[in-house]
Amino acid sequence: MAELEVRVVSERRDGLLLELGRVVNEYGHVLVRQRWVQEAQGACLTLILRGPPDRQQALEKALGLHPRVLRFESTRAVQAQDAVGSIVPTVVAEPVAFAAEPAGPGEVGPWLPSGADVARVERMLPGLAKDYPRIFPWLINLEYAVSAEVRDASLYLAGKRTGAWIFRRDFSLGARLGLVDAIRRIALPALRVLVTVEQHEHQLHVRGCPLCQPGAPSGGRFFAGFLEGLLAESVDAPGVVVRETRCHSLGAPVCVFEVSS
Amino acid sequence: MQEMHQHYNAVLVVLSYLVSVLGSFTALQLALGIAQARTPGQRWGAVLAAGTAMGGGAIWAMHFIAMIACNMGVQVTYDVMLTAISALLAVVACSIGLAVVSAGAFGWLSLVFAGVMMGLGVAGMHYLGMAAMLTSAQISYDGGLVALSVAIAIVASMAALWLAFHLRGRLQMLGSAWVMGVAVCGMHYTGMSALDIAVGDTLPAGFAQGLSGDHLGMVVFGVVVVLLALALGLSIIRQQRRAALTI
Repeated sequence: MAELEVRVVSERRDGLLLELGRVVNEYGHVLVRQRWVQEAQGACLTLILRGPPDRQQALEKALGLHPRVLRFESTRAVQAQDAVGSIVPTVVAEPVAFAAEPAGPGEVGPWLPSGADVARVERMLPGLAKDYPRIFPWLINLEYAVSAEVRDASLYLAGKRTGAWIFRRDFSLGARLGLVDAIRRIALPALRVLVTVEQHEHQLHVRGCPLCQPGAPSGGRFFAGFLEGLLAESVDAPGVVVRETRCHSLGAPVCVFEVSS
Repeated sequence: MQEMHQHYNAVLVVLSYLVSVLGSFTALQLALGIAQARTPGQRWGAVLAAGTAMGGGAIWAMHFIAMIACNMGVQVTYDVMLTAISALLAVVACSIGLAVVSAGAFGWLSLVFAGVMMGLGVAGMHYLGMAAMLTSAQISYDGGLVALSVAIAIVASMAALWLAFHLRGRLQMLGSAWVMGVAVCGMHYTGMSALDIAVGDTLPAGFAQGLSGDHLGMVVFGVVVVLLALALGLSIIRQQRRAALTI
């Protein structure tokens, strides 16, 4: 068994421990300790978890992608075993790190999460919901209102909340589907209300994205969050992940979003 | 033996299909809400409501409208007990089928099981309802057409459930109800074509105490009104919930 320290930030505290606790149980881990701290960006929950080392990575991914988690950090600890076979409780911290890979023209590199401007996103969302599907003026205003460091995370949070709301409003009645079916029957019709889009198996190709102008910063994080929020409860598999692999703002003809679980 | 023929009132035949669609629409809308139940009590309440709408509304009411539509040239009444049991059979079979298909993820095994349960519910109600018929005529069945009627009920039920749980949007809502209506009516009219009636000369015991067409018509009318009210009420509640959802 190995220990894992996880630190998550969420906009509110209510029910967070219960929801994350379910995810922890699903991946065969137990909660050893928890600690709450209120921060400027929201409620910060630190969890010390114990469970099988081979499921740690999957648990980290599931927690990091939980719809209520704005920021996620984890530190792994391993227990060393001495020559006679007894366990020596030596803790070696292995911080989870993201390695940057070089991206080609039009290609989007890996996204490194950082905190969103929760307060501004929260203020913007009711107006966005009221004007839905005419949402792009709200999102462009949000892009200008937040600082550059939190722009991507703020767009992602706005997208995730909007996608989850649209799912509950329009698509929640029905059974959980396979991933490709969910993309065809839920993601595609939901996106078509906003943009011109085509499905190619697990990819969605968005043409003329209003948030991605050539030479300007990419707004694709909104759609990545939107699709994750939309598909999280609709797919018969844990943890839907959406990655933008090509972007019009980086020179590609269309923005490409790859959906996986 | 002298054979007799069935003559149908076209308006009532069309009405029978519309009632089966209405009942199926209400039942499937209730069934889609089963997964959102928060407690076992809510879940079983939703299962029974959906099963009753399907078994009692779509299937039973449709059957007796179609029987009222059919003129066989002889007087007919219906045994009260068997008529009630036929309704119960349809409700129970449909409740089981809808409970299975709405639990958890949608799979082919659960679809087949639920389709078979609902199809047998449709067919069982029909043939039990026919057994409830009290008449001087001699009745027999063509086995091949009986088997075909059961197959139609099962296959079309599976198609309707697939549409209801797998799709989203208008096709999900309306398409599934229309297809389920085909299951119920297709089964019934195929089963009626399997029926051979010959002239008889003796009224069975209990004929005078049986339900006549007029009384049945009143009961069916009451069932249809309840279905309409349920469908409308559900639609209003869903619209209100949709409007109240916050982002």
